[in-house]
Amino acid sequence: MSERKVIDARGSFCPGPLMELIAALKLMDVGAEVEILSSDEGTAQDVPEWTTKVGHELVEMGERDGHWYLVVRKTK
Amino acid sequence: MAIRPLYMILKSADRDSLQIASTMASLAAVSERPVHVFVSMGALRVFNKNGAGNERYGDSPLNAAFCEKNVPDPIETFRQGKTLGDMTIWACAMVLDVLGWDESHLVEGLFDGQTGLAKFLSNAEGGDLIAV
Repeated sequence: MSERKVIDARGSFCPGPLMELIAALKLMDVGAEVEILSSDEGTAQDVPEWTTKVGHELVEMGERDGHWYLVVRKTK
Repeated sequence: MAIRPLYMILKSADRDSLQIASTMASLAAVSERPVHVFVSMGALRVFNKNGAGNERYGDSPLNAAFCEKNVPDPIETFRQGKTLGDMTIWACAMVLDVLGWDESHLVEGLFDGQTGLAKFLSNAEGGDLIAV
């Protein structure tokens, strides 16, 4: 089973959550996943956009208990 | 289509301007677009290594709100973009000279050196240039 790291970036503003996601992915192996939690509405749009642009995979996303969660798998 | 590098000139010392500049530069850099930043005029004073927190910025409409909400500091956002992406940051040689500064006066680990505006503009002919 692939590694998954959870980053709680709730309360952090743009571009904080995305930067935390990218920093975490850099340190992980291909196939690993990062789940980022964010209360920032923009992050819910920025993370999928960035993920598509650089070629990683958005595994799932949604709202839960008043915040966003987004799971990104490192593909390269 | 080849990705065009982004060339950015910073001239303003106010937090609002540097907030959007640091965010644009860093997001571009981590999105596999090379970014080159030239820090000039009042903006360079913000990068004094002896500056303290929010006091380093001039007045701007959102400065107090940014601090109250703990929005990422522009200098740290530039640092993240440089660490995680493809970004160079250059100090304006003329302003360093006017201030009587050298590179040792600037925040550590952020600048790639100093250069002149003509050189920067010449390089920028190969990309997109914006001034903030």
